[in-house]
Amino acid sequence: MSTQNTHLHIDGVSKNFGDVKALSNIDLKIERGSFVCLLGPSGCGKTTLLRIIAGFESASSGRLLLDGSDIAQVPPHKRGFGMVFQSLALFPHMSVARNIAYGLKLRGVSGKEQRDRVEELLNVIQLPSIADRPVSALSGGQRQRVAIARALAIQPKLFLLDEPLSALDAKLRDNMQIELRQLQQKFGVTTILVTHDQHEAMMLADELVVLKDGAVRQSAAPSVVYQQPADSFVADFLGAANLINVGSVQGGQVQLLGKLTAVDTAHADNTMMQAAVRAEHISLAPVAQAGGAAVGTIEFMRDLGPSTEIVVAVDGESLRVRSPNVDCQGLSIGTQVAVSVDPSQVSVFKA
Amino acid sequence: MSIALSRSRALAFSLPALIAILPFLGACFYIFRFSISGDKGTIDGYSIQPYLDLMTPFFGRSVWLTLKLAFVATLVAMLLAVPLAFLLTSLRSPLARRCLTVTILLPLILNLLVQAYGWILLLGPSGVLNSSLRSLGIIDRPIFLLFNETGVLLGLIQTSLPLAVFPIVSSVRGLSQEHLEAASSLGASQWRTFFDVTVPLLRPGLFGAASIVFAFNASAFAIPLLLGGRRVQMMGVAIRDMISPLFNWSGAAAAGMILIFITLIVLLFSSWLVRMTSENVRH
Repeated sequence: MSTQNTHLHIDGVSKNFGDVKALSNIDLKIERGSFVCLLGPSGCGKTTLLRIIAGFESASSGRLLLDGSDIAQVPPHKRGFGMVFQSLALFPHMSVARNIAYGLKLRGVSGKEQRDRVEELLNVIQLPSIADRPVSALSGGQRQRVAIARALAIQPKLFLLDEPLSALDAKLRDNMQIELRQLQQKFGVTTILVTHDQHEAMMLADELVVLKDGAVRQSAAPSVVYQQPADSFVADFLGAANLINVGSVQGGQVQLLGKLTAVDTAHADNTMMQAAVRAEHISLAPVAQAGGAAVGTIEFMRDLGPSTEIVVAVDGESLRVRSPNVDCQGLSIGTQVAVSVDPSQVSVFKA
Repeated sequence: MSIALSRSRALAFSLPALIAILPFLGACFYIFRFSISGDKGTIDGYSIQPYLDLMTPFFGRSVWLTLKLAFVATLVAMLLAVPLAFLLTSLRSPLARRCLTVTILLPLILNLLVQAYGWILLLGPSGVLNSSLRSLGIIDRPIFLLFNETGVLLGLIQTSLPLAVFPIVSSVRGLSQEHLEAASSLGASQWRTFFDVTVPLLRPGLFGAASIVFAFNASAFAIPLLLGGRRVQMMGVAIRDMISPLFNWSGAAAAGMILIFITLIVLLFSSWLVRMTSENVRH
């Protein structure tokens, strides 16, 4: 990440509400044109961080640098950031066209230019004929698109979204995620989206920022966060990972399912460790081929169509395994199996 | 099915209220009948003479005065009520909110007579204000704030203020913070947001409050009588004078009908205005 490509630098931002620490020392560099998702459970501070960026809250300490200049003192209406709110906040007393044109009108754009821009945006969001409708006559998905168009109309420096898709039903949400990603790429606008939905974050983000209790737990590309979670919280929050207690470090190694596995040299001996392994990265084999691997007993099996979900009890832990159907011939509840993992797919971290 | 059921149930439960309203409707009809009576003291025959008798400069002035005072009092009450409503909704402490609510509500709780004598004690020729100004040497002769239009106006504003505040409070509560922030993120300053978003969203509530306050003020009787001292002949006072010293029942009934009619027209006009301004959406 080169520094001249940093669009927004969140430099040591903290926020206290009275005695409550909502954010502590957040450090993030957001690249120009990238799509960043702030992901975390409710109360992790992700919305507070977004509101500080938008200017609706002020940081207790730290700096916000947009293209290198501090914007802490710039009021929200002078920041030029387009924002999509959780409730969408379309103006009910204005038509669709006037909603979209409102930001342009405030900028003194001529009537004709406003109309052209509204028409262009309505085409982009594939709703060319709704300009004169009142907002109340729109469906949920249409409102969503109009709110996005209204925020993009002002050609925002930053495009901020606060859980905008959470009110939609699952199928519509999937479609909107794809559309949103395509729109963002088309406009090339630096985008920050807040969500508690890990699928949404994986789907949209170039960079995933996982927050908990007001602190960044991990910030990396979605595939990295998924494959190599930085800690047990991230592994657990991103879902479907097995957390295995692997005891303490001895000579730079831990014992994982009967095999010695090297850990980061940063961890001193005797540190208690945990490992995260995804269900699809555990393989099962007949006991005869165990070759030193741990042996477990199948406790539960369910055919999910493309794959089978299996729960194996091994060394007092229940592991979730997902394996393609073809590999599950001859397995049933009670069968003993050898359990092994691909060491490159394991993350080991301090317990 | 369930909607039909709940509606019939609602009707059943509304029955007592509807029965209670019936005598009022009866009274309205009785007044209407009296207003077209051929006799001044009893209902006898038909005539439009009571209405024709009202076509005098005196009654015209009374109508004009009523409209003027009710309108000005409504305007001032609304201007005072809007910031109060915002203050009331912004208070975090429940105690502070309750104290302010009770203070605003007080005029509704206190008897009008008590309130009027309160004003007389304060603003009368030998009231608190005049005597302190005189002892300070600022004035030689008392300022006449009462027993004229100013006094009636003060009284109307004060008594109708709570009727304005509470409907506005509920529409201020309905304002969403996100709408205001959306305007701000699109580039609207605080004032711009207020005029472009807050006011339009509050408009139905504001007109609703103003309608109630106007109807209350136009039909005021005790306040103009007590604080206007007979010299301010609002229609309520004029109607009473027709009945009590003059025993002109049919004339009073006709004047009453005109008052009801004028108030209805103003209310219809204001609801039409709300519809027109919100229809602007579809420009």
